[in-house]
Amino acid sequence: MGIADTKRELPSNRMVFDVRRDPAKYTDFAERFEDFMEEYGLSEPERQAFRDLDIKRLGELGVHPYFLPQVSRLFHGGAYNHNNSPSAKAYGKSVVEGKGRTR
Amino acid sequence: MADLVFATGLSHAPGLTGWLDQAPEHEQKSLVDGFTRLGDMLRASKPDVIIGAANDHVLNMPIHDMHDFCVGTADRWEGPAEWFRDWVNVKPYSVKGNAAVARSLYDGLSSRGFDTTSKSDLLFDDNWSVPLLYLTPDYDIPLVPIHMNCVVPPVPAPTRCFEAGKAIAEIIANDLPAGLRVAFMGTGGLSHDPGGPKYFDVDEEFDRWFLAKLEAGDPQQMLRECTMEKMVAAGDGGTSELIAWIVAMGVVDGAAGSLPAQTICYEPAVALRCGMGCVYWDVTTADAKEPAHA
Repeated sequence: MGIADTKRELPSNRMVFDVRRDPAKYTDFAERFEDFMEEYGLSEPERQAFRDLDIKRLGELGVHPYFLPQVSRLFHGGAYNHNNSPSAKAYGKSVVEGKGRTR
Repeated sequence: MADLVFATGLSHAPGLTGWLDQAPEHEQKSLVDGFTRLGDMLRASKPDVIIGAANDHVLNMPIHDMHDFCVGTADRWEGPAEWFRDWVNVKPYSVKGNAAVARSLYDGLSSRGFDTTSKSDLLFDDNWSVPLLYLTPDYDIPLVPIHMNCVVPPVPAPTRCFEAGKAIAEIIANDLPAGLRVAFMGTGGLSHDPGGPKYFDVDEEFDRWFLAKLEAGDPQQMLRECTMEKMVAAGDGGTSELIAWIVAMGVVDGAAGSLPAQTICYEPAVALRCGMGCVYWDVTTADAKEPAHA
C-alpha cells in the first residue's frame, strides 16, 4: 500500500478529513463512534478496522497513508508524539517493518 | 517591481517543536542553532511579506478535489488548527496575510496554466506552525501561504514545480508593488514516511544527496535526477514534500539565476521521524544574473 493506492471516494477518507478539521465533529467521533461511522456510510470492513484500530487494514482498504498515523492519534492523542508515545507505538505495532534507523 | 530579498528551504516536522527533547543533544543543538540562525537571517533581510509553499497535508483540499496549488487569500491567519495544537506544541498565534499579494499570485499562476485554487479559510498544521516559530517568533511578518498537493497522485512533477517557482519570480518582479521586499520559503521534508512502513526511518543517504544537489546550484541536473520515484523511494508518504523546495529553487532561478544553496544544518533525526534541515540562497549575491524584471 502507498499513496498511489488511495481510494479517493472511500467514506473513511471523507470522515478522517472532516474530523481533523472540525472540533465538533471530533467530539462526535469520540462520543458516538458507531453512529458517526454509519452517518459517513463506512462499509462494514472499514468499521471493523476502526473498531480494531487495525491501521494496516485501513491502508489496505484505501485510506490515504498520510491519514493513518492521524487515525492512531484520533484514538490515542497527539501530544508529545515521540516514538514511544501510545499513538506512535499503536501505529508501529500495526504497520511498521523497521525499528527506527537511518540508511 | 517588487524584490526577492531572501529564499529558504526548510523542514517543518512537528517533532522539532513537539518532542525535540527525545533527540540526542547534539541533534537538538544543531537544529535549534541552525533554525534560529535561519530566522535571524530572514528577519535581517527585512521582508515586507513572506510567500511560502508547503504541503497541504490533505487538510484543506480533500482527496477528491485536489489541486496542485492553493493560494491563501486571507488578510489574517490563525494557527495551529485546534486538533493539531497539542501535537505541534505551539501556542495559538495570529499572523497577518496579504490579500492583494495573494490575488496577484493566484491570477498569475492561473493565467499561466498552473492548476491553482484559492481559499481564505486555510487551516494550518505543522506546515506553517513549526517554521513560523523559528523564523518569525513575534509573528510580525505577513505570510501568504501557498498550499500544495504533495501526497495525492498525481502530484505536480518537480519540473512543473520549478516552472511554478519561475512564474512566481515573474509575478514578484512584474505584478507586486514596487519596493515590496519579498522572502520566499519552501517547507517540508526531508526524508520521512508518515503512513508507510518506514515510519521510524530516515534515509540519510537520500537527504545528503538532495542537499548536495541544491549546493551544486544546477537546477537542470536536479530536475533530471530528483524524480518523484526517487523521492517516493526515500519515504512514500512525505519525502515528496520536497517539491516545495523545488518551487523555491525555481523562484531563486527566476529572480537571481542559478545559485548554489547553502546548507545551514542537517540531522538524520530518527527521534523526530524525519530528516531535518534548512538551506538558504543568497539572492543578494553580487554575481547573480540580471533578475527577471520586465
